[in-house]
Amino acid sequence: MNQKIDLLAATLLAVALAFGNAWAAAPAAAKKSTADHAKFKELQKAFTTGPDVTKACLSCHTEAAEQVQHTKHWTWEYTDPKTGQKLGKRAIINNYCTTTISNEKDCMACHAGYGWKDASFDFKAVENVDCLVCHDSTGTYRKLPGFAGHPVYERTEFPKGSGKFVEAVDLQKVAQKVALPSRANCGACHFFGAGGDGTKHGDLDSALKNPPKALDVHMDAKGLNFSCVKCHSTSGHEVSGSRYEMAAALKGHARVRGEADDEPASCQSCHGDKPHHENPLFVERLNAHTDKLACQTCHIPEYARDGVGTEKSWDWSTATRMGPEGKPVLVKDSAGRRAFDSKKGNFAWDSYLVPEYRWFNGQVTYKVKGDKIDSSKIVEINHLEGKVNDPDSRIWPFKVHRGKQVYDTENNILIVAHTAGEDESALWQSFDWQKAITAGMKTAGLPYSGKYGFVSTEMSWPITHMVAPKGDALRCAQCHGGESRLAGIGGLYLPGFNGNRLVESIGWGAVALALIGVLIHGFTRICFFCNKKPKETAQ
Amino acid sequence: MLKAIGGLIVGVLGTLAVVWNMAGNLVFNEQESPYTVEETVARIQQNIQAAGNGWSLMGLRNPIKPIQADGGDALPALMIEACSSKYSGPILKDDKIRFLSILMPCKISVYKKSNGKVYIGTMNAGLIGSMFGPLVGDIMKNVVADQQKFLVMDPTKPAPPIVLPKTGGEGGSGGGSAGGC
Repeated sequence: MNQKIDLLAATLLAVALAFGNAWAAAPAAAKKSTADHAKFKELQKAFTTGPDVTKACLSCHTEAAEQVQHTKHWTWEYTDPKTGQKLGKRAIINNYCTTTISNEKDCMACHAGYGWKDASFDFKAVENVDCLVCHDSTGTYRKLPGFAGHPVYERTEFPKGSGKFVEAVDLQKVAQKVALPSRANCGACHFFGAGGDGTKHGDLDSALKNPPKALDVHMDAKGLNFSCVKCHSTSGHEVSGSRYEMAAALKGHARVRGEADDEPASCQSCHGDKPHHENPLFVERLNAHTDKLACQTCHIPEYARDGVGTEKSWDWSTATRMGPEGKPVLVKDSAGRRAFDSKKGNFAWDSYLVPEYRWFNGQVTYKVKGDKIDSSKIVEINHLEGKVNDPDSRIWPFKVHRGKQVYDTENNILIVAHTAGEDESALWQSFDWQKAITAGMKTAGLPYSGKYGFVSTEMSWPITHMVAPKGDALRCAQCHGGESRLAGIGGLYLPGFNGNRLVESIGWGAVALALIGVLIHGFTRICFFCNKKPKETAQ
Repeated sequence: MLKAIGGLIVGVLGTLAVVWNMAGNLVFNEQESPYTVEETVARIQQNIQAAGNGWSLMGLRNPIKPIQADGGDALPALMIEACSSKYSGPILKDDKIRFLSILMPCKISVYKKSNGKVYIGTMNAGLIGSMFGPLVGDIMKNVVADQQKFLVMDPTKPAPPIVLPKTGGEGGSGGGSAGGC
């Protein structure tokens, strides 16, 4: 009988080790491609443009472009299946750069395509799909603002008049060195959202190209070294895990990679909903928290935990103000980050920021172009749904970006302004709001009353990257102590933080009674001892 | 008699316990800053440079760097080092109190806590100075007066750039910019 148990245990151990080895070996195996693209005849020629490279790619990867054309990376459009609301960069006006509409030539530096400079862009042309932006492994493929999604094909001064030059991309070299997307590929856009390193998300910046374990345990360059697509697993070029379609409260066991999973880019996908197991004293208590808290709430104690930092606010109302000589100026803050730009207004930056916490069930409603606003209040660009006692809600950490942005004071709608570009109506050329607004609203097909003002806005971004080592996770007292991080969350009784006068009165009353009892008892014994002693001496 | 001695001992021990508990708060001061760590440092540095009385910046240390080099991390903290030749000179010339050079240069620490707020930590030079006779006591009174000026930050003035040390001065290594000590 014992031999059978030993045999079973040994078999289980062997299976476990085999799985472990397969898991550990997976990244190394991924690097060993079965194809050397440099040997492909289709790629052994000089390419003139990006679309030429795409045509060569499609001669083998026949379905790739069509697959890409069905994704948000191509359409920049998403329809919320629950609300029917049209979202994506073609519909939302955010409180950073505000909108891509009428600014396509600049913004499309981050589109996975070539040539989107205005509404005439052909979304069906397969050669317009940019394969290289996601698959370049040389680090030399760059798309700059102002080129409608094309890289530079000849040596170009950038920015114009700066005296700095960007060399032409060697398309043949890049095409011959394609690979699975690395952190640098995804990061080329997602680390630099809103026009600068770390600006937008707060939990994504260039420090994640080569991060230490303290910054992100999963992407740790010397450890697990996860690429983005390790979690955001991809099928047919459809990348999983988007803030437009979030599930905030996942349950169930951990899944082995490859097992069918609706939310592979979630913590629970690998860790399950009872992830704590190290310390038997705390296991039950910690695991019980998962029905109220998102994993990120404790395991990302601060975001932007690096020297890059992130933008906290953007005030467009000071844009177009000139320097003392009447010329545009650029002012940096004490840490060397942008603080004021005549083109864009004022900014505030910081790093190691404590998130703001909200109940969240994964559903977000957005203000999109043309939506009415109430300018007497702070406008929520996106409203997070979720509440206490909702089984689909958890307390999530967010970066809340605050700003002031331009709106139509008569029609009460957020304005689409034509900011980028080299034409006279572009704000960054003319420094004239009226011209920029008129051009932008016309392109967007929105009415404009001719009167504008600036309204305070907020936009919330879920924090889900920069997962700290477990030793750096939040301590109990950081929520349950007097200065609780969850102080403003509401609807929750937090032992150690929330007070109940009746319970506290009973508790302190019991303590006082116990103390009185001890004192009376002690005093009685002392008296008894003092009275007894002389008698003993007399005897 | 026994009771009186016992009471005395209990009283002395109790007093010592209270003093021990409060000593940290007496020797060190902490105050909140409305600015980021970098801006707080930069504003203090600007005040030091404008203070006169022989004050100059000696360096700026980042005690988090060695932790990061060891693979860990901690919330930001920066230590400004400043010295005044006017005040340090008399102390360094007197053999009996030269050991007080251990307190040089003056340090002001700026750090963030896990509540997200930024704080400024300073040493209570006045209290320390009063323990070492009238010369040091008088000097330290002046140091305290100047130190208070360092921490006055005018929000109407734009944020100055942080002054980084020209050589060394970070990560626990020595060095620093040329100073008055």
